[in-house]
This record gives sequence, structure tokens and C-alpha cells, in this order.
Amino acid sequence: MSAVVPSLPNLPVKVAIKNLSFFYGDTVALKKVSLPLYANSVTAFIGPSGCGKSTLLRVLNRMYDLYPRQRAEGEVLLDNVNILDPAQDLNALRSRVGMVFQKPTPFPMSIYDNIAFGIKLFERLPKSELDGRVEKALRGAALWNEVSGKLGASGLSLSGGQQQRLCIARTVAISPEVILLDEPCSALDPISTARVEELIDELKLQFTIVIVTHSMQQAARVSDRTAFMYLGELIEFDETKKVFTSPAKQQTQDYVTGRFG
Amino acid sequence: MADIAFEQTTATASRTPGSRTSRRRLDRFDRGFAVLTQAAAIAVLLILAGVLFSLLRGSWLAFSTFGFGFLIDQSWNPVTDRYGAAAAIFGTVVTAVIAMVMAVPVGLGIAVFLTEICPYALRRPLGIAIELLAGIPSIIYGIWGLFVFAPFVQTRIEPALIATFGHLPVLSDVFAGPPYGIGVFTAGVILGIMVLPFVTSVSRDVFETVPPVLKEAAYGIGSTRWEVIRNVVIPYTRTGVVGGVMLGLGRALGETMAVTFVIGNAHKISASILAPGTTISASIANEFTEAVGDLYTSSLIALGLILFVITFVVLAFARLMLMRIDRRKGA
Repeated sequence: MSAVVPSLPNLPVKVAIKNLSFFYGDTVALKKVSLPLYANSVTAFIGPSGCGKSTLLRVLNRMYDLYPRQRAEGEVLLDNVNILDPAQDLNALRSRVGMVFQKPTPFPMSIYDNIAFGIKLFERLPKSELDGRVEKALRGAALWNEVSGKLGASGLSLSGGQQQRLCIARTVAISPEVILLDEPCSALDPISTARVEELIDELKLQFTIVIVTHSMQQAARVSDRTAFMYLGELIEFDETKKVFTSPAKQQTQDYVTGRFG
Repeated sequence: MADIAFEQTTATASRTPGSRTSRRRLDRFDRGFAVLTQAAAIAVLLILAGVLFSLLRGSWLAFSTFGFGFLIDQSWNPVTDRYGAAAAIFGTVVTAVIAMVMAVPVGLGIAVFLTEICPYALRRPLGIAIELLAGIPSIIYGIWGLFVFAPFVQTRIEPALIATFGHLPVLSDVFAGPPYGIGVFTAGVILGIMVLPFVTSVSRDVFETVPPVLKEAAYGIGSTRWEVIRNVVIPYTRTGVVGGVMLGLGRALGETMAVTFVIGNAHKISASILAPGTTISASIANEFTEAVGDLYTSSLIALGLILFVITFVVLAFARLMLMRIDRRKGA
């Protein structure tokens, strides 16, 4: 479905994950994972629950830093700079690496402010320009037509699917370079899911996208490359078409055909 | 509730016809228990109504003698038998306001620290220490206030306040000398310390109702800790925090012993918060034993009724606010 063409490898590597291990206290969650994330393409992480795919995503914007006893070893190079460096400015990093969560997380404020809040963190804009940015973000997330008349309404008043697109708009609004999607459709109905998937297709023209998903159909539909993980290890990483039709490893074959997982 | 339990037991009974008699006995037991708990719940309402009734009856003489003027008259003279509640109401409100001005920012600060900033290992010990502060008997605050805090206020804080604000319009009246040490200000500060644990523990509890993923989302777009607290945590918990503040306010309004020790017990309204004053509860505690004459006693009971109404309204409001945040948490 997605336009996987052999010419993909020509795209530059946006994020290079090298020998990344991750620990929750004494528990090892990731074991020496290495893989590249290519610019302007969608990379899907699949695997059974607890395989470390969400953990890997949370390393990419250092979300784990909020919690004690969680630590990462190895390197994650974003444009050749190691973001695991303790000196890394986390606010700057997170403005470059945006994240959308499993459940929609609108802030307790109006639809307009949900978008404007993020923009205002980094830029001082006159009202008219801010309005433009908010509209652009909402259009970008295919939500503008539904909410343009009620920007002052609470973000919580929207439906689940709309809330999730609001969260995507909020992420897009601060012009990140990488967007992390953590099972963005697991709380959505099929129609909203289709909308979000269409959106992902459009967003990859501008951003590097990483998506964690439990739905193999979704991975097959939206991603260019797929990483299959199991028990903290990267089992296979290749073009999505290849992973789903002729995987190199038996484990991958078993998982994508639904024999386990 | 009782009805549901009843229906369930009958349903079970019909499924097991062999043990029907024992089931029926259980039914009776069930109903008996329901009646018992219901009675306990109703007893609370009866006691509340009883208290209100006695207050109304006891204060009848005072209200019928002085009428509405009782609320706005500040004279309190056992010799001429003329009584007014204004000074006591004023003192009650002003000490409570001073207490809240001190306790709310500090309490919110502690709550933010405990939930967002404090290293995990210290969270529980610190939280427990704050809650222990609520367990100190108010008489202890009273003697500490009288023998330790009031002299300190008199020699250090009040001279500084007078020197600082003495030359400014309006404020020079609010902080007019001389420094007695005991007075409305000292009482307010001690009340502030006493309500601090309430404000802190309620705010901490409601801050903890913020879903971690919501905070992560805010951090995820690059917010600093302050921006997350200011724009996500506090708006999300606004009603709960107001509820906690009101709970503290209710306590501050009704607190008796500590205030009686340090407020000076003077039935007058002064512009200066450094001057001695009184509160409703302090007046009652001080004067009830020496109240001779029906009108005197009745006036004190009338003060009690006024306090009852004020705290009742404040606490009802607090509960309402807290209920709202509970409902959202459940949703």
C-alpha cells in the first residue's frame, strides 16, 4: 500500500541507534539494539507486548529521564549528535522529537490553546501569526474543518479520534524533525484510524516518523521499514514489504503470520 | 444499596432450593444489618439537626433583643448588657485570611515539590512529616505561640513590619504599632502553620490525580517543569486545589485554643492587624464560664451559630469542589 520502492536506501539517516541497551532498575529492557531511522520515511516497531518497542521509542526523546532508576547505554545519534549525552538540553531535544501517545492527551485548555501552548514555549509570535500557525497545524492534522468554528471549546470536548488528531496537530505545530507515535490508533475506531493513517502518509513528506503498533496490518499499511523486536532484542529490520512477505528469520515469520505473539 | 443486596440473596436462594431456610435467615440478617447501618447514617443527620436546633433556641434571646444589629455592632459590654458580633466576626475573618495568605502559597509549593521535584526516596518521609504537623494538638500551638512565637514576633517581626510599612499610605494603618506580640497578626500566622498540612496534603493528593501520560505529553513538546506545573498540573486540578484550600479555611475559621492564647481577646475592630482582637471561637472559649445573665449566654451561643453557618458553608463548598475532581478521576 505504501509506496515502498527499492530507491529508499538513498534517503539520509536521521537517527542512528547504536548498541542501545536500556534498564528499568536491574531489569534489562533493551539489549544492544542497533538500527537506523531514515529521514522522510515511516519506520514501524512491531513485536509482542513487553518486547521493548515502546521503551525504544521513549529513549528517542529521553522521556525515561522523568523517572528514577531508568537508564540507557549506547548511542542514539540525531543528526550525528548523541542525544544520550547527559549535557543534552532535554527541552530542545523534545522540541525536535515530538511524541503522540497511545491515549489522546489533550491539555485541560481550549483547542486553540492546546496548539498555541507548544508554539509559545519556543517562539514569541504576534497574535495574527500565531493564529496562522494554529490553523496550519490543525489543517496539517486534517482537523481544521471539524473544529474551525469552535476553537475556544475545551480540547476535552472532542471525540477520541479528534482528540488524537489534535495531539498530532500539537506535535506538528512546533515543527519537530522526528515524530514518535506510540500506538496512536489503539484507542480509536476504524474510521478515525484510517484518517490518522492517511495523515501519517502525508506527514512523512516533512518528518521522520517512527510508529509503535500492535496491529501488523497497520505496520504493513503505513510503514516503509519495519523492525521486529522480541524480548528486548531487535530480531529483524528491513523494508516492510520484505519483513511481511519473505522475512529472513523464522521468529519474524511466525509473528507476522500470527503463529505467536 | 440495601435493595440490591436483598435481590441478590433471593436470587441465590431460588437457585439452591435445598438450603432455603438458612437462606431466609440470612435474608433477615441482611435486612437487619441494612437497617442498622441506615440508623447510624441517620443519627449523624439527627445530631447535626439537633445541634442546629439548640443553637437556634439558645441564641433566640440575643437575636430577638438586638435583631440584625447583632451582626454589625462591635460593642461587647457585659456591664451594660450590650452585645454585638461584629468584632468577633471581623477577627475571625481577618485571622483566617492571614492564615490562608501564608498557608496557600507555601502549601502549594510543598505539594508541587513533593509530587514533581522531590527525589523519590524522600517523598514518603516528607509527606508523612507534613501530615504529622496536623496531628499536633492545638493547645501545643497555643503555648508555643504564647511563650516562644509571640515574644519573637514582638521583638523581631513586628518592629520590622512597622519600620517597613510605617511610611506608606494605607499600609501604615494596617501595620500600625505598638508591637504587642500578641494580636491578630500572630494568631493568623499560627493558624497558617496549623492549616498548612491540610492545604499540602489535599493539593498533593489532587496533583497525583494528573495522569502521568498528560504530563509526559507536556514534557514531550519541550515544556520545562515549571511550564508543565503551571499549564497542565494546576489547571487540571484547579477545583481540587480550591477544595483543599477551603478545607484549610474551614479549619482556620473554627480553630479555638491556639488563637485564644495569642490573639489578645479584645472586642474591638482595629485597622491594624498588629493590634489585639478576638475571634468567635476565642470569645466563646474565654467567656462562657464567666457569662452571667441570660442575654450574655445567649449572645455567646449566637456567636456560635454564626460560626456554625460560616464554616458549614465553607466546608460544603470545599466538599463540592473535591467531589467534582473525584468524578473526573473516575471518568
